[in-house]
Amino acid sequence: MLNKTGIPTAEDVKKVSPSEDRLKKGPVAIIECFQEIPCNPCTEACKQGAIQPMEDINNLPKLDFDKCNGCGVCLSRCPGLAIFIVDASYSDTEAVVRIPYEYLPVPQVSDKVVGLGRAGEELGVFEVIKVQSGGQKNKTYTLWLVVPNDLAMDLRSIRLGGVRHAN
Amino acid sequence: MPKVKETEILIVGGGPAGLSAASAAANLGASVLVLERDGKPGGQLIKQTHKFFGSKKQYAGDRGYQIGDLLIEQCRNNPNLEVWTDTTVLGIYEDGVVTAEGQGKHLKITPKKIIVATGASEKMIAFPNNDLPGIYGAGAVQTLMNVHGIVPGKRVLMIGAGNIGLIVSYQLMQAGVEIAAIIEAAPTIGGYLVHASKIRRAGVPILTSHTITEAYGDEGVEGAIICKLDESWQPVLGSEQDLKVDVVCLAVGLSPLTELCFQADCQMKYVPELSGHVPVRSEYLETTRPGLYVAGDVSGVEEASSAMVEGRLAGISAACSLGYGEDIAPKLQAEALAELSELRAGPAGQKTLRGIINLMDKGGVVC
Amino acid sequence: MQTKETIVCRCEDITLEEIKSLIDQGYRTIDEIKRVIRAGMGPCQGRTCRMLIAQELAKYYGIPVGEVLMPTFRPTVRPVKLGTFAGGE
Repeated sequence: MLNKTGIPTAEDVKKVSPSEDRLKKGPVAIIECFQEIPCNPCTEACKQGAIQPMEDINNLPKLDFDKCNGCGVCLSRCPGLAIFIVDASYSDTEAVVRIPYEYLPVPQVSDKVVGLGRAGEELGVFEVIKVQSGGQKNKTYTLWLVVPNDLAMDLRSIRLGGVRHAN
Repeated sequence: MPKVKETEILIVGGGPAGLSAASAAANLGASVLVLERDGKPGGQLIKQTHKFFGSKKQYAGDRGYQIGDLLIEQCRNNPNLEVWTDTTVLGIYEDGVVTAEGQGKHLKITPKKIIVATGASEKMIAFPNNDLPGIYGAGAVQTLMNVHGIVPGKRVLMIGAGNIGLIVSYQLMQAGVEIAAIIEAAPTIGGYLVHASKIRRAGVPILTSHTITEAYGDEGVEGAIICKLDESWQPVLGSEQDLKVDVVCLAVGLSPLTELCFQADCQMKYVPELSGHVPVRSEYLETTRPGLYVAGDVSGVEEASSAMVEGRLAGISAACSLGYGEDIAPKLQAEALAELSELRAGPAGQKTLRGIINLMDKGGVVC
Repeated sequence: MQTKETIVCRCEDITLEEIKSLIDQGYRTIDEIKRVIRAGMGPCQGRTCRMLIAQELAKYYGIPVGEVLMPTFRPTVRPVKLGTFAGGE
């Protein structure tokens, strides 16, 4: 159904999800890349050797969850904006989800934003605890959002604010 | 200016394919002239604000306009190479003379080799009121926004979920414009699914098996009626929806811009997988008119990454046929061919591969 | 609201109805249609309408679009001022 709606299914997501145990251990990348396209910047971004080199550039990325330290370099390099970092060790009840962000205005630390799931559905209001700039050339921001544990694998976007119109 | 300009290699079009061809040929020692219709070279790259796919060899991870700047820079630093902007090629004649219009003057050029890298033009579809103000091609929307800094409206219906429809929707959202929906007549999304997912999770519906039945409005677009299509692409009765939008953006595909190839009497063939009439050409991109090469979308609509590699291949081949770099050209050609196979090896490239097989097939109808 | 028109050739303001009626009258090629109604003779020189007309012909005659005869392509690919040919300005 992903190819009809743009929404990855629960099975799709399961295929790229680490175990509960691994999630609890700390930050880890979730690579939501489900289509074989000619693309490999994630493999070159990973300095931990967690994203294995591709034999064929069209292969799907393969992530070794145990080698991944959740550094987030792949997140800001992925041209498809398809990589997220989930840290379920943040507190007993909350997790941190890092998402790539390329809209304006860029939220500020401690802003409350409306979190959205993969279908754009509202999940609640969450706090931004960190904003990383991708730098002059890369330009993709990384937003760090605190969410309840049970939404860590669901929150993937935020409602766009400050809409500007002609006139 | 002399009456007739001489050059070894003339390149028609200064987009990703043309600029790549130019620096590849000039690097081997050939003298190259690039003619670009627009005021600035770079082609469609200058409007692409998203990061490109591919590998390092095709500058993956860089944004389109950054790649455009890089290609322009490579050409600027090459003493064998001239780029004339605001210059449109008008004709290729039997005797090998190429005519162009530049700054209100009629120019004649006598090149030894020609590389046609004219790109593609946008397709249009027929529906009632399709000439209302507010109906744009996706390329026009990109030019308005990303070249001139003007948003086309407040709420957009995007027609087409190929890569262009998805990317332009994303750019509109980045500019603060609302997308009411992206509709696609085919049963599945044609563009890369990562583009589709990032738009969907921002709340924009993508409706496959849907088409526009009409636009309406007095002075300009005030809305559009869309409907569902069944398995045989027929409208489903009672499935109409009325969307209040002030812009309808058409991203329904591109056609290779092959007028010059037709004029030059290249053997042409209609290949649906390559999006239209394309010239029959060799593996090294030489057409049936000796000394005339093609590269990029004009030889079959594809991604900019493959257009750049094709440009390089055509540039090397043209230079080599003039005696430049004969020692290293075969190695460079093999590298480019390997990159093209790599880019087309996945499921996304299968259509192009089928198209090329169809094109090279001696049977079938040729014009 | 005015009557709904479906435009095929934007440059010369020619509708789908007009094209279909010509095909019904027996005009069989893009070139023939161009000569009687100017479709494809405007600033874009047929880039917009050529394949739309080809589709209509293909539908009418029950043939693949690829088998529709393409028009003759001549220089110049876009309209040029006479003054340009005369030496500029």
